[in-house]
Amino acid sequence: MADTPSPPAPPRISVRTQTLSGRLALAIGAGLIVTLLSLPFWASQGTIRSVVELCCYIAIAQMWNLLAGYAGLVSVGQQAFSGVAAYLTFVLAQNFGINPFVAIVCSLAAPALLAVPVYALLHRLDGPYFAIGTWVVAEVVRLIFTNLSYVNSGAGMSLRVMTQYTALERNIAICILCALMLVATVGGSYLLLRSRYGLALTAMRDNPVSAASQGVNVGRLRFLIFVAAAVGTGLAGAIYFSSQLRITPSAAFSPEWASIAIFIVMIGGIGTIEGVLVGALIYYFAHQWFGAYGASYLIVLGILTMVVALYLRGGLWGFFSRFVEIPWFPTRRKLEPRP
Amino acid sequence: MLWLDGLMQGVLLGGLYAQYALGMALMFGVMRIVNLTHGDLVVLLALIAISLSAQLGVGPWTVLVLLVPLAAAMGWVLQRSVLNRVVGEDPLPSLIATFGLSVALQNAMLQIWSADTRSLPGGGIEQISWQVGPLFVGVLPVIVLGAALVLTAGLAWLMARTRFGRALRASAADVEAAAMVGTNPRTVYALATALAVAILGFAAVFQGLRSTVAPADGAAQLIFAFEAVIIGGMGSVWGAFWGAMVLGISQSIGYRIDPGFGTLAGHIVFLIVLALRPQGIFGRK
Repeated sequence: MADTPSPPAPPRISVRTQTLSGRLALAIGAGLIVTLLSLPFWASQGTIRSVVELCCYIAIAQMWNLLAGYAGLVSVGQQAFSGVAAYLTFVLAQNFGINPFVAIVCSLAAPALLAVPVYALLHRLDGPYFAIGTWVVAEVVRLIFTNLSYVNSGAGMSLRVMTQYTALERNIAICILCALMLVATVGGSYLLLRSRYGLALTAMRDNPVSAASQGVNVGRLRFLIFVAAAVGTGLAGAIYFSSQLRITPSAAFSPEWASIAIFIVMIGGIGTIEGVLVGALIYYFAHQWFGAYGASYLIVLGILTMVVALYLRGGLWGFFSRFVEIPWFPTRRKLEPRP
Repeated sequence: MLWLDGLMQGVLLGGLYAQYALGMALMFGVMRIVNLTHGDLVVLLALIAISLSAQLGVGPWTVLVLLVPLAAAMGWVLQRSVLNRVVGEDPLPSLIATFGLSVALQNAMLQIWSADTRSLPGGGIEQISWQVGPLFVGVLPVIVLGAALVLTAGLAWLMARTRFGRALRASAADVEAAAMVGTNPRTVYALATALAVAILGFAAVFQGLRSTVAPADGAAQLIFAFEAVIIGGMGSVWGAFWGAMVLGISQSIGYRIDPGFGTLAGHIVFLIVLALRPQGIFGRK
């Protein structure tokens, strides 16, 4: 703060956005990415499979977090995007002979192209109706793929071209793709939130009307987030099903994908990247330990989600942040006096 | 003749969809929230109806008389314990809370009733049909359509002519102003949800009689109700009814084009309406 109001001296302040905990988290994050890349050389096939699954959960949840937590677009139909990307990967690799790992990257065109007309149609719907509208779109896409003989209808496809690679080669490629996916979805969101757009997004999250009055182009930003989230979700779908080597319409377009994203984000803490990571770990371990209980486990998960929505809107991370402030991904801007 | 039959079956199917849609139109119109357990409640009520019928050995009409008050009570409890806490400008809390509840309900039903498809025995009424010219018209679907008409007209009358309807419309227009002139929003909301779920009690009995129910069916019914409401025009009771007719006819004609195309035809008509006339066919801008 300047002591003298006039003549106007340049304020002796600086904007600080990084913290010690943030730097530590970045270092740990980089370490984890390196570990992920080294997995094929020492971990078992089962471990790699689980880690790939966890990475896909994180990516899908973070994309849903951007949509619901910042853009105010609650979608329960993100499986449309993961499904079409996964299917395009299978078609390109299996029917056109494109290298399957290149196909995964090419397939991202599908969710991007699908997201444009979907948004154009659905943005007319009021908040809660938007959500069910996305679900209808996902159902439409599922029914189309179920009836399309080109992709073997309801019976689905197998990625037989993968047999030309050894298990090690496949694992290396999948782990590299997973690392890229995490950097793009989590790292990309972090960079986005620290940029000018991040300020606009945060303003929009808190109040879209007042954000618009401050010059934020809410409609355009929502559209861009919707497309970006579709692409990120698509990448996760393409990687997941390529590592499974098999796809069917009922698995690719299952509403369970939306459920997973919602559980992770709501229980972890909406509107924060830390919450997604916490939520993904909780969901992952809960699924490993209690998944065998089937229906009873899902009853508990459902009730837990409801309780969080009723009493603990910020999720576990929000609850934790009330007491201690050690952000892993600091996006807050702090003004500090400059010496 | 195939198409005439398709049209007529579609109108009759629309009678069932109208009963799903009325409650959703009412709740959205009054509270601006969508209850994602809407379809699961139909399934739950239908399964309760089937168990009641088997346990007590009574016919479908007795079950209906027992089920509707039970449904109203469920709606009241749902509103008081869950929905009243999430009504507001932000759509997220209500969606997430009812989403969690929907997952829990579906799996609880799976535990209690297993994944089998069941139906409600109607004592022969489901097989009777009339011959109208070259067409056969089932008696039960006509009763369902008649019930839908009576329910829609009753709800429209209630909204337009009664003190309770005025309170509903006032709360829908401006909840704070309505509270200032003496309505209690929480009570109005609880009554609205009780009414919406009571209508689902009718839908559940007819669904159980006309076809089958299984715990995972709720999602489809939620989507059909939603499509009917949007096609017809949001917030209007008769709009929901006509939207259900359009949806029923689209699906029925679609099934006759190709059995894999029925549900998809309904979705496509919905998307076309959304693209060309987002306020709904019968809605005003």
